[in-house]
Amino acid sequence: MPVAGKNNHDWLGLKKELSPRRQLQLTVLSFVLPLAAWALVSYVPFLWHPLVRVTSAGDVDYFIEDMEVPRAQFEQENAKMRAQNMTPAEGMRVNPVYFPPPHAVARAFYTAFKTPPRLPNEPWLHESLGHSIRTICWGFVISSIFGVPLGVLCGTYRFFARLQEPFVEFFRYLPAPAFGALCVAILGIDDPPKIAIIFIGTFFQQVLVIANTVRKVDPALIEAAQTLGASRLKLLFKVIIPASITDIYTDMRILLGWAWTYLIVAEVVGTMSGITFFINQQARYRNFDNVYAAIAMIGIIGFSTDLFLAWLGTVMFPWKRRRASVLRKKRSWFPPLWPEAIAPVSDEEKPNMQADVAR
Amino acid sequence: MSLAELKLPDYREQLPEVAARFRRISQREVILRVDDLKKSFGANGSEHIVFNNVSLNIHRREFICVIGPSGCGKSTFIRIIAGLDECSGGTVLLDNHDVSGPGPDRGMVFQGYTLFPWLTVKRNVMFGLEMRGKSHVTAEAEARQWLDMVGLAKFEDLYPHELSGGMKQRVAIARALANEPRILIMDEPFAALDAQTRCQMQAYLLQIWKKVDVTILFITHDLDEAAYLADRILVMGSNPGRVVEFIENPVPRPRSAAQFISPEFLSLKKRLEELIHPPVETGEEEKLPMIKLTVAGDEVE
Repeated sequence: MPVAGKNNHDWLGLKKELSPRRQLQLTVLSFVLPLAAWALVSYVPFLWHPLVRVTSAGDVDYFIEDMEVPRAQFEQENAKMRAQNMTPAEGMRVNPVYFPPPHAVARAFYTAFKTPPRLPNEPWLHESLGHSIRTICWGFVISSIFGVPLGVLCGTYRFFARLQEPFVEFFRYLPAPAFGALCVAILGIDDPPKIAIIFIGTFFQQVLVIANTVRKVDPALIEAAQTLGASRLKLLFKVIIPASITDIYTDMRILLGWAWTYLIVAEVVGTMSGITFFINQQARYRNFDNVYAAIAMIGIIGFSTDLFLAWLGTVMFPWKRRRASVLRKKRSWFPPLWPEAIAPVSDEEKPNMQADVAR
Repeated sequence: MSLAELKLPDYREQLPEVAARFRRISQREVILRVDDLKKSFGANGSEHIVFNNVSLNIHRREFICVIGPSGCGKSTFIRIIAGLDECSGGTVLLDNHDVSGPGPDRGMVFQGYTLFPWLTVKRNVMFGLEMRGKSHVTAEAEARQWLDMVGLAKFEDLYPHELSGGMKQRVAIARALANEPRILIMDEPFAALDAQTRCQMQAYLLQIWKKVDVTILFITHDLDEAAYLADRILVMGSNPGRVVEFIENPVPRPRSAAQFISPEFLSLKKRLEELIHPPVETGEEEKLPMIKLTVAGDEVE
């Protein structure tokens, strides 16, 4: 019989906090489920496996060993052979080469870092990744140096909002890749045009998003500061910026995620470089396991950066930490890394950021 | 039996000591002088008047409560005095100087606490002091004193979200008082608190007021609160907002909860009830058009 007030078994309670243990289980499961689906499709032949790899050609004249043909064609040829009393071909069902099984990708993940590139002037995987991270950092840092102060100004003063935002709003709709040719013409074929594209892709969103965040500062806090004698510049630096800094930080985390999408476009501009070059090169050699490994690598870098930044946020902004839990009382100098640390973005704080931008 | 039916003395009858106290107060200098204040929206043709003809003088260390039905403009009135809104006519003089814009000489405590969430309790109290250019060390020492006074010294390193509502409001009071304002404006400061905490806070506030040279202008919609705290009660009416009466509170000081059933208290409260909730013509409570949904004989009253 259920005991009143004890609903530990309610996994789907609306707005109910799940226990930390349960949260962790679900987090792990969120990765395990797609992996399991992938493994099923890869290892259980009758689920998909649309091709047949020929193991012995039999009497089919154009079949050769290790050739992959569609199943229907294979059956058709064999039916012909059987009708003419000739030896049918033999083969095994396989998935297309662009759909490698998990173990191949896992192996590639390990070997990709250890295998030297085919050509002497090609970069190693870690060099490619380093190049990409460098590009994205430059683009994001330069964008932030201009975008954050401008966003804060627009959010604080109507004057700057009216002066800047209509143009920014217009420019935001121009797709960053459209500037590729222009960037190359102006900045050459190496890294500068790539950084410029990340800048264009990030900057205008950044100004609008941060301006909106700053506008949301509780006016009562500003009034309270005014009655305490804070005047113009002090209001900006002592009230408006501190009051919005945590939300700005969250915005920056999301914007950094967007910057990664522009990276792939940017790296195609001029001479192809970084992780995009690696992916293209491997695809050309038909090493699709390496392609998947490289794509997964981007995900891992992005996700772990975000986790790190989330944790860093709880260190930098102690007033945003939730009420002391038992865990935190024990070691209050070290905020928990998981899973509460990622809560701010996924939870209630930023559900309508897209809506803000689309406003 | 309702308050209206009770046989009570006139609320204007004052005990000798109460009358003497009001004479003493009226001899003190005037801190706040409000003359023919008016607030309205819109152009002359379709003007909406929030309130007009509001005039009053407040003397040093007086405790004034402002009550009135919702929509009478009492919040707007004190926001104008605080400098957060602009008036449409009339003058507000603080120490004979025109008020323009908010300033540290008029401290304000809001209903919604408005503590700075990124600052610890101590830094919150230091905020105004630092804004006025005091050094960190001086500000810190003074903030500690004020926190001591509101009894929160040992919570100085907590962040606001770790405090209860009553504690937050005490920090807000300490923060406002640390600036040593000429007048402390409080906009329904205890309305969000539960009944028990509110009683405590009222008692705290009286204690603080006795110890500090400050004049208090306190907005409330709670008649008991007004009668318990105030020297004089400014009753405002609505449509348009105006001063209905400026009542001298006949309840002697020091105040205590025991006075809630004293004849002076009840006569004052009766008068306030009459002003705020004028008797309905029919005298009959309006019946809700509700069909009975319970079993016959299963009555709650």
